[in-house]
Amino acid sequence: MTHGEKNEAPMREVYLDYAAATPVDPEVAEAMLPYLTERFWNPSAPYARAREVRDDVERARGTVARLIGARPDCLTFTAGATEANNLAFAAVEGHVVVDAIEHESVLACAGTHARRTVRVGADGIVDAAAVARAIRPDTELVSVELANGEIGCVQPVREISRVVATERARRLEAGEDTPIYLHSDASQAAGALSVNVATLGVDLLTLSAAKIYGPKQVGVLWASEDVRLRPLVYGGGQEGGVRSGTENVAGVVGFARALELACERRGEEGRRLAGLRERLREGLLARVPSMVVTGPKSPKRRLPGLLHVSFAGVEARRLVIALERAGVSVGTGSACAASRMRVSHVLEAIGMPRELAEGSLRLTLGRGTTEEDVDYAVEAIADAVRAEMARVGTDAAAMAALAGGWGRR
Amino acid sequence: MARVFCGLSGGVDSALAAALLVEAGHDVTAVYMRNWSRDLPGFKCPWARELADAERVAVTLGIDLEVWDCEAEYKATVVDYLVDAYAHGYTPNPDVMCNQTVKFGTFLERALAAGADFVATGHYGRVERGEGGRVRLLRALDEHKDQTYFLWRVSEDALARTLLPVGEIRDKAEVRRMCAERGLGVENKPDSDGICFVGPVGIRAFLLDSLERRAGDVVEWETGRVLGRHDGAFLFTVGQRRGLDLGGGPARYVVDTDVEKNVVYVTADHDSPALFMREIALDDTCWISGEAPESGRYLVRTRHTGELCEAELDGCVLRFGEPVRRVAPGQSAVLYDGVRCLGGGIVQK
Repeated sequence: MTHGEKNEAPMREVYLDYAAATPVDPEVAEAMLPYLTERFWNPSAPYARAREVRDDVERARGTVARLIGARPDCLTFTAGATEANNLAFAAVEGHVVVDAIEHESVLACAGTHARRTVRVGADGIVDAAAVARAIRPDTELVSVELANGEIGCVQPVREISRVVATERARRLEAGEDTPIYLHSDASQAAGALSVNVATLGVDLLTLSAAKIYGPKQVGVLWASEDVRLRPLVYGGGQEGGVRSGTENVAGVVGFARALELACERRGEEGRRLAGLRERLREGLLARVPSMVVTGPKSPKRRLPGLLHVSFAGVEARRLVIALERAGVSVGTGSACAASRMRVSHVLEAIGMPRELAEGSLRLTLGRGTTEEDVDYAVEAIADAVRAEMARVGTDAAAMAALAGGWGRR
Repeated sequence: MARVFCGLSGGVDSALAAALLVEAGHDVTAVYMRNWSRDLPGFKCPWARELADAERVAVTLGIDLEVWDCEAEYKATVVDYLVDAYAHGYTPNPDVMCNQTVKFGTFLERALAAGADFVATGHYGRVERGEGGRVRLLRALDEHKDQTYFLWRVSEDALARTLLPVGEIRDKAEVRRMCAERGLGVENKPDSDGICFVGPVGIRAFLLDSLERRAGDVVEWETGRVLGRHDGAFLFTVGQRRGLDLGGGPARYVVDTDVEKNVVYVTADHDSPALFMREIALDDTCWISGEAPESGRYLVRTRHTGELCEAELDGCVLRFGEPVRRVAPGQSAVLYDGVRCLGGGIVQK
């Protein structure tokens, strides 16, 4: 390769990291824009125009509440899902139960409590019976995400809610007054799955606008009326005193519009993404048969737009750079883990061998992804992997040996 | 073709060094030396980001990148040395120690053990291989970037195994241009200046993280009058102007510090004779060739890319024809014969 070629612009730009960030949908941006410019008033100001803005915030709250089957006054808008998760954990003081592949924000919050961490299987699924065994008489919170953002598994939150209900009933019978709540971080799921709080049977639910084509730094925590939230941010008493600070009006309005669009398009878009994901998986497997796919086999148990693949003995970090040169943006796992150059805690928890984990790419598709994008990405990824295989002098047999039995399940 | 281990820091200079070696047909392995990864209050150590940039360069060049953990050596010989020197009233050059003990110490040894013929770095300096196997260190072609001031404690034996490709390039703009041409993705990174592991927090915050604050007097040099208080004489350096909290008045300069008595002496007179000196006593001298140069006239540099002044070397004493600004004890005085770096010594109190 000559230097001239190295500097040539790639033929196509393909973004395959929708789980890390989604572009703001034009309709969402359009809904937000007036609140950044002409309708800039502080919702707490006394004049009529400001009041209108306050009404708009409440309308947005109502929209989000309706879409998740909740009461509007049980919603607290936050600066993103991480803060919402923090707020959920701040509601309790005692023992908590989480699973090992939760997002860093949940694991870090759990780290400030007495806790038990439930292990997961190789497909990442949390066993409701294991949650039942982990619950102690003093457990106050169980937190299990609706879907995992790295390997795409969808957790049996409904089943886990029955476990929590059983424990609640037991405590009632026994005259114990320690409450127990179920929290679920549905940030990664809301684009693809129904997030109705009653259907899920949860007591607290986290959502993020940033993963559903809304703005970053906007999230919400829903808490049932049984839960008493404790503020982390003190001040003017906005959001029912739970989250002070002038309302992020544009953000909240954008969030509501983004969630509306997500709910409208969920079914059709989910089917489209699942088709593209299969095309991606098949295309890659045909070219690199030693590739290992991780995550639940059943389409019902996984996010439709996420494909997690591993190439044993190949360094994913080098693949990312090679792919970036070909115009393809892919993730290696959660961005938080990537910045610290550690093997992802998710891959560690599911027991993936290190040689495989270090060669893992998370490919996530979204609204902007086309068949042509997928076909281009298939060639680019296969080329990059083959080039790295040649560089380190490995082949399919050596890769299979490194992967151990992991791929053959 | 030689087997070369090239230190890759994530910066512009080492990226080009690696690229030039690959283009020259050498078998190049890139090594990221992880010397320090500690975060300070208000400063997140950027090592992971720098490593990512180094990795991008390595992938672009199609070479291996290894990460070598040099934290133990770096802590012992650079960081602890620095803190100890400050505690005793010296102002050391950590880069000089890093080059001697880590880059041209540990890194070189480990590279040779791994089968390297040479190591390479992105330093601005030139290695000249003369007859009879003698090797000399010359200033870089780009005099504004020359880093031989930091390389004076590297031995001839180490230099014999060293390649410094960037030292042959006329100016930094050219280095950036060459990086851009090669698509290395680092050409727009700012130059890193100062002590890498304290970052923008500065040496003061770093020292206060390691040493105890100790209140003492700021005393006027000429009169002995107490002008104010300071929080540790070890925090101050000869010539320093900033950081003296004397509640207004004229700008004052540190003339001297006494860490035993914990006193900082200052003057308002920028031209005070106390801020100048005619001779420097050198300690801990080190000569690249292994032999001390004969007494005589040489060029001397007491600051990175500082003016080259003529001085007379007499044993371990340097005498200047004209009075020169005082150099803080602990700094390096580096001697040159024309463009050739001979070695130097540590400025005594």
